Amino acid sequence: MAMIEVEERETGEQNKDLFMIALKATIPVFLGYIPLGMAFGFLLDGAGYHWIYAFLMSLFIYAGSGQFLAVALLAAGAGLTEVVVATLLLNLRHSFYGLSMLEKFSDVGKVKPYLIFALTDETYALLTITEVPPRSSKSRFYFYIAALDHLYWIVGSVLGAVLGSVLDLNLEGMSFVLTALFVVLTIEQYFNSNVRFPFIAAVGAGILSLMFFRPENMLLASIVIGTLILIAREKFVKENLHVKQDIQ
Amino acid sequence: MTDTLQILVTITALALATFATRVLPFMCFGSREPPLMLLTIEKNLPPMILMLLVIYCLKDVQWLAAPYGIPELFSIGIVAGLHFWKRNAMLSIFIGTLLYMALVQFNLFSFL
Repeated sequence: MAMIEVEERETGEQNKDLFMIALKATIPVFLGYIPLGMAFGFLLDGAGYHWIYAFLMSLFIYAGSGQFLAVALLAAGAGLTEVVVATLLLNLRHSFYGLSMLEKFSDVGKVKPYLIFALTDETYALLTITEVPPRSSKSRFYFYIAALDHLYWIVGSVLGAVLGSVLDLNLEGMSFVLTALFVVLTIEQYFNSNVRFPFIAAVGAGILSLMFFRPENMLLASIVIGTLILIAREKFVKENLHVKQDIQ
Repeated sequence: MTDTLQILVTITALALATFATRVLPFMCFGSREPPLMLLTIEKNLPPMILMLLVIYCLKDVQWLAAPYGIPELFSIGIVAGLHFWKRNAMLSIFIGTLLYMALVQFNLFSFL
């Protein structure tokens, strides 16, 4: 009996440590989601909606740019079909995130549906690069990260909607914290793997999409173009290998 | 009341649409092996997407008007430089963000 109690306490403490590690990893997202969520809340409040809708949207939709787009379209009087199609197109990039998470999420058990639901740009970026602490539960760790990010987004958007224009904090430029987070995680990817071509493909696809697509379509366009470049190169390299083998 | 109903319907539809885009790959490849081509590029997707997310953050920059995106590029350069040098994520992110906030709030590139 005593043994079990000790074990339980140890597990409890391990979980607390794991939670603190997850909390630390999500600090940049906290700093980014609060002002960004507040901006969304302001916008929704300005469009004449009650703050409860900010809460519901952030709880159930949970897609940063998707929610901004929804408010803009609703305020402009767009129809339901229009809003849904725009959201589908805008968020289609998330399918690509899932593609590279198939393996990582294959053994996370019952939190899997939630992890899939909560796969935003920022949570995806954190999960691809943050290592699960040794001897810890991966599903628990991933769940902490995803749920904390979700919580920050909800808190930010409700704060923004409730405070409306009452508060005049100068948070201009604070959402750069997410840019900085992506820069840091990209460099970590650079250190963690020996592949270099994806970075080149991304720069090419990114600049092309910046030039030829509207800001709201740019990310999906660049991911599609980049993926096509990756596939083309894979084919090209394989064919070259075959040719070389044939010659030998 | 009809307004309330309308927005609740809209929120439900958007929640389903967003979840659909996230669950799609898991529905397609949950039980069977993904095609070989997908497996070969799967490893290359995260570095490419992260790099694209950095570029995506520049989507609203006005390149042809002052300050020509210099605050953004300068701050990104500082973050990257710091991170290659010290490899301390919190340090790179905080210094870079504080720098960027100072640059845009005090309009330090107004001479351009």
